[in-house]
Amino acid sequence: MMQTDTALEAALDALLLADASALDGKDMQGWLANYSEEDEASYICRSAENSENGLALGFMFDDCRSRLEDRVTFVNDIWVGTFQDYRTRHFVQRVKYWRVDAATISVRSNFSVFMTPTDSGITQVLAAGQYLDTVRLDKAGGLKLLSRRAELDTSVLPRYLVYPI
Amino acid sequence: MTETGLTWPKNVNEIPKAAFTRKDIYAEEMKRIFFGQEWHPVAHESELPNPGDFKTFRLAGVPLLIARDMEGMVRVFYNACSHRGNQLETAVMGNKTEFECPYHRWLFDAKGDLVGCPNHRDFLPGFDKSDYPLAQPRFDSFYGLFFVTLSAETESLPEFLGDSQNTLRELLGGDGRLKLLGYQKVRYDSNWKSYTDNDGYHAPLLHQAFKLLNWQGGKGRQFTATKHGHICFESALSVVSGPTVLKDDSLIAFKGQDPAVGSRIVSLFPTFVSTKHLDVINLRFATPVDEETVEVHYAYFAHQDDDEDMVRHRLRQSSNLLGPCGLISMEDASIFHRIHIGNHTPGNAIFQKGVHDQSKLESEFLQNDESGNLPRWEYYRSVMGFERAEA
Ligand code: FES
Ligand SMILES: [Fe+2]
Repeated sequence: MMQTDTALEAALDALLLADASALDGKDMQGWLANYSEEDEASYICRSAENSENGLALGFMFDDCRSRLEDRVTFVNDIWVGTFQDYRTRHFVQRVKYWRVDAATISVRSNFSVFMTPTDSGITQVLAAGQYLDTVRLDKAGGLKLLSRRAELDTSVLPRYLVYPI
Repeated sequence: MTETGLTWPKNVNEIPKAAFTRKDIYAEEMKRIFFGQEWHPVAHESELPNPGDFKTFRLAGVPLLIARDMEGMVRVFYNACSHRGNQLETAVMGNKTEFECPYHRWLFDAKGDLVGCPNHRDFLPGFDKSDYPLAQPRFDSFYGLFFVTLSAETESLPEFLGDSQNTLRELLGGDGRLKLLGYQKVRYDSNWKSYTDNDGYHAPLLHQAFKLLNWQGGKGRQFTATKHGHICFESALSVVSGPTVLKDDSLIAFKGQDPAVGSRIVSLFPTFVSTKHLDVINLRFATPVDEETVEVHYAYFAHQDDDEDMVRHRLRQSSNLLGPCGLISMEDASIFHRIHIGNHTPGNAIFQKGVHDQSKLESEFLQNDESGNLPRWEYYRSVMGFERAEA
């Protein structure tokens, strides 16, 4: 049964916040758990500049479930001890959503991400932009990300990225 | 000693850390290097494939407009109106047949000619539109790669490239017929020289990924081209065999037709690094912002003859492998920052690997030798006019 708007909005916000919380907590398994188990589950992080010029290249291009799983391996296993770590705070705000079909919702939200490198301790904006999400409603009524495109207004990053945005 | 006053160490493998951090040296570098006798890559013509396409870029602060006219010819202009110098185009890229300056509405075509200006009867007596085209720096191209020089005295582009030409041609897909996939742009908290000193050059020990992926480096050579100390790497392509920790190993697969061409890196003085590795073709347009900051635009390409699957593969590999967030290069990015912080300490950075004699420069190196950077440092020293210490 389709949820009421209020219940659906609350569930969408809970999903957005679960993702922000996993990322800020550097909990990559928690991040992965917000995505659908379907093979097509995807996360793409790309500048709006590329998108607007018809250029598909991204900062991160995880266009299937196995690449999402590999992203967890990059952070948790491969890159350990090689970078200057930084904290992030993600601020997310749902702007618009619409139902695509009984099991699918499109959601657009704004985000801004602050970062604080552990060595300098100085906080700056890492990126601002919007999430363009397709959300899947499963039989139990749970919501997962089927696809997320983090579209960055920030076309020139102030730093290399370790964690997804 | 010059007025900037830096004595260079006697040993060729020692670089004074002060060269990376001093504001006065940076100001002198602008004059002697960036406005001096060097060629700087600013665009590949495949970034503007269609008539009317343009790109803007700032080279050491100088705003440039690279535009393709309606007949298909690419030119480089200063991105400043020929009237009072207002920045002409604000978009990073796009398509326009005419560029209008909003200030007093002067209108230029894609050839840079002034084709319209309102009320010119009020201008100087004898005012003639044909005297006011957009100004142009000297430019030339090599297999579609456009270079600019800000000095009238610079040698020709073929002379500047010298023996790096063949490696660079191979890196540009053999014929320069590329197709743009997109950009990754980033600012590093790093002096431009710490960036070029550590990009391209590969410290295998840094890369945990190689070990975890079961990836042995291919055998190869590294050599110096021209007095500028350009560095070329040519190595056989090594492809991962056996199990990896990746679930989607297309990230590190080679699907190209020509494994003999292998991996290529060309690093041109002062800031350009380009690489072809697996199926990634990557040109890194880098420019200093100040003595503590360098901005790098990683541009990625497919080849025009690629089929749809190959383009898709290159796109997926390019996005995730070699850029500022890439599997095997995010760590390099972190090294740029950390080296730059470390350079704010007294003394010299000392190169070891591949150095046989501290009083002699060589021009052929092994793939992972640090010493490949030293001819470039010698050129830098001489352009900057720093004297070597006697003892
Ligand atoms: S400055 Fe461009 S028209 Fe006057
Ligand atoms: Fe590297």
